[in-house]
Amino acid sequence: MREPGLNYLDQKVLGKLMAQPLLARHAMEGSVSGHHKSPHRGSSVEFAEYRNYVPGDDLRRLDWRVLGRTDRYYMKEFDAETNLRCYLVLDCSASMQFEGAHGSKLEYAKRLIASLAYLVVHQGDAAGLVCVGEKAVHEIPPRRNPAHLKLILQTLEQTEAKGETGLPAMLHQLAESARRRALVVVFSDLFTDPDELLGCFQHLRFQKHDLAVFHLMDRMELDFQFDRPVRFVDLENSFSLVTEPASVRDEYLNQLHRFLERMRLGCHEFNSDYHRVATDQDYGTVLSHFLGQRARVGATF
Amino acid sequence: MTFLQPFVLLGLPLVLLPVIIHLINRMRHRPQPWAAMQFLLKASRSSVNQQKLRQFLILLFRVLALCALILFLSRPLAGGWIGWAFAAAPDAIIILLDRSASMEERMPGGTTTKREEAIRLLTDAAERYSGRSHLLVIESVHRAAQEIARARNLAEPSLSGPSDTTADLPAMFQSALDWLVENRAGTAEIWIASDLQRSNWNPSDTRWSTVAGQFESLPQSVRVRLLAFDTVNNANVSVSLKEITRTIRGGNADIRVALDFQARGLTSPSTPLTVTLDGAQSQEDVLMESQLLRWRHKIGIGKKQTGGWGSFEWPADGNPRDNRVFFVYGPELTLKAAVVTTNRSTARVFQLASSSILNGTREPAELLDPRDFGPSVCTDKSLILWHAPLPQGEAARTLQTFVEEGGRVVLFPSGTLDASRLLGLGWGTVETAAESGGFKVTRWEEEEGPLAKSDEGLSLALPQVDFFRRQLIQGEKNVLAAFTDGSPFLTRTVLGRGELYFCASAPDEQWSSLSDGYVLVPMLQRLLLAGSQRLAPVSSYECGEIPRAELASVWRSIDGQTRDIELEAGVYRAGDRLVAVNRPAAEDDPMLVPSAEAEQLFGKLPVQMFQEGRQRSDRLQGEFWRVFLFGMLLFLMVEGALVLPPRTGGSKADRTAAGKGPTTPTSQGANA
Repeated sequence: MREPGLNYLDQKVLGKLMAQPLLARHAMEGSVSGHHKSPHRGSSVEFAEYRNYVPGDDLRRLDWRVLGRTDRYYMKEFDAETNLRCYLVLDCSASMQFEGAHGSKLEYAKRLIASLAYLVVHQGDAAGLVCVGEKAVHEIPPRRNPAHLKLILQTLEQTEAKGETGLPAMLHQLAESARRRALVVVFSDLFTDPDELLGCFQHLRFQKHDLAVFHLMDRMELDFQFDRPVRFVDLENSFSLVTEPASVRDEYLNQLHRFLERMRLGCHEFNSDYHRVATDQDYGTVLSHFLGQRARVGATF
Repeated sequence: MTFLQPFVLLGLPLVLLPVIIHLINRMRHRPQPWAAMQFLLKASRSSVNQQKLRQFLILLFRVLALCALILFLSRPLAGGWIGWAFAAAPDAIIILLDRSASMEERMPGGTTTKREEAIRLLTDAAERYSGRSHLLVIESVHRAAQEIARARNLAEPSLSGPSDTTADLPAMFQSALDWLVENRAGTAEIWIASDLQRSNWNPSDTRWSTVAGQFESLPQSVRVRLLAFDTVNNANVSVSLKEITRTIRGGNADIRVALDFQARGLTSPSTPLTVTLDGAQSQEDVLMESQLLRWRHKIGIGKKQTGGWGSFEWPADGNPRDNRVFFVYGPELTLKAAVVTTNRSTARVFQLASSSILNGTREPAELLDPRDFGPSVCTDKSLILWHAPLPQGEAARTLQTFVEEGGRVVLFPSGTLDASRLLGLGWGTVETAAESGGFKVTRWEEEEGPLAKSDEGLSLALPQVDFFRRQLIQGEKNVLAAFTDGSPFLTRTVLGRGELYFCASAPDEQWSSLSDGYVLVPMLQRLLLAGSQRLAPVSSYECGEIPRAELASVWRSIDGQTRDIELEAGVYRAGDRLVAVNRPAAEDDPMLVPSAEAEQLFGKLPVQMFQEGRQRSDRLQGEFWRVFLFGMLLFLMVEGALVLPPRTGGSKADRTAAGKGPTTPTSQGANA
């Protein structure tokens, strides 16, 4: 019997993804040296700038060649490289429990999170998990320890979706509580007040956190193909609505499209990653695309 | 509205089935857990009203379709003619059109006559069958089936114009049967348009049952549709001529007429009646104090020896066709009577009482023995008094012929018990009054007949006559006068143009005081005058009853207008001869055949009755189950159109779903 949480990991998928590092798009503030750019100067192979020598500077960084040619004291500075602190935020509201032909959005998100956590820890960065229901049910701070991955996987295994979402409140709290710059990856269907949610994203970006959003949708939600009257039951409460899908389809898709576009443009405005994902897509491909896109864009700061 | 299959209406609660099924379906809707409820709610909120309206309309049309189906199966019949427009076309439609004088009565509240309204309705109904069914018309005048190419040909005057004739519905029905048998038509419908006048329909006629039985035995299906115009126009007075005689008094001749006025509604007390005599018009006021009035009038013609003509005309009313009567009067005639008796004591009384007065000289009646009675005696006589045992054999036949020709015969009791009969009547036992007093006659017909009131309105002194003996009159009779105990004194039997009277007592001292003459003289003088028509040439006919021999002559209307003597009333001349043609007395019959009784006349044939109460232009036709059939189909089509889902192919919704939904990972990223 496999250990809890390992069900969400697929060796073949991980094998393909391991070749692509997860890079931060913004400078990170880590506790140890790593692969990600830091806002601070430090010892790395990446030259940053020259500055005048001031007493007390480390003479090992004095550019002796410049001193020999010009008889002036210049200090040669390099970018520091640090590790990545990654917060994987999972929306555990009942709407994530919606299950289409390819499983629920929650299960799909768990696979994405498990794989990302594995990759993050494997490349020496710290991965943490925040599962958000009506309130934060599980919050695991980022750790670099491989044993920490096991805790994350076990937590994912035990997590269930129920109640209304507390995602906006949790993101605000996270923006404030994360003392260092971090990568925050949100996995949610974002079915909450768009204004409030975009406010959260703005707050996170204001705190210099790198933000990536996986907007999870089921194909049924995107297409709304029903051929007979249906009683729709809200997953987050007991409200139900009997309607003729054909008669409301146009308006439904119109409303949904406006919502999706607003979220996409909102994330674009805040210079964040936005990935709209349908649960019938292969999650390995989705992650590969995510990692590759981050690698191409590179870090900017 | 009535139904041929009313039990089907028990299924009317089934119209609630769609509602019940809808409610059950609402409970049985497949539950679908849904996350994106906020968008669904917004979408539903904008379309919920339209959706509710649509669902309501769908349910409504389903209910209406079921309702129409049930009504269609129950085969509704309307009071009008609406259903005919949707009925299956029969092979032949035979229209029996009553164009008698009574059909010229105007529709209540309208200006068109019943005949015109019938033609309009029949034409409208038959128009829909033109080209699909043989259309035949049997109108009441000629009663011969005539095929018409198109329904509008029904309005041709030769087929359906007005007439002053009567209608013989049993004969028309028989004609329809004859045509069907001769032509071996398939399914047929007989459309009858009539006012159900009893005299025209004659329900007691045995031909009805005979013809109806023959119809039932036909192999093909025959249906009868009866368009009954049985609503009476109350604003109508009909005029008919009952008596016309030419009398001489003091060397001046008078034309005495008796007119019957029959009013259906209230009339003005005094109405001007236009009197035309030999072309000269005058007016007389008629007091209509009751709905029935016998109006007697005398027109002096002075010393005129020859004949002439005239008419009486009532002002226009509900039926202008029954307002005018025509008459002709002949030249002065010598009136003669014959007394056939074996009783010498009464012979002289009879001779004097029935003597004629011509040019101031009295001519006693001819006296003869019963054995001498023969056809030669009757040649110039207008009245025969028979005071002897009832005639037998040849004498009886001669007497009967005399009556049929218009003569009057009065038979007085001989006092002998006789088992023989004359026209079904005979003498019974002789009764003698008690010594304290004789028999008395207290009730008699005073309006017309030999015992009518005088011109001055005075009654005959019949109560003052003492009757000591009487002989009972046996057989079926019409009693004109009766004794106090109800035993008849004077009876009348009409035969041909004449009348036969039986008088229960005789002017003999042993029998009565009739010999005083106060009653006997006016009675016999009136009969003498009435019998004079036997000697005059036939001068009046009922329209439609003119013998074919007469029609061989060329008859022209006296007023110069073009009239058809077979169809229209009036005075016609052929050479020197004048003939008055009036509408038949049967057309004044106010009695109608109730619709239920009329239906029974057709036996087991399916009969559909349409009663047109008043003139209406929007009135269509009767059995209209096809309306519900078409209605049901229409409702189902509308319901089907509503049920169809909105078109989605290539719609904005699909474009949105296809273009905006994530398809490939490369297209998903929104990263700047």
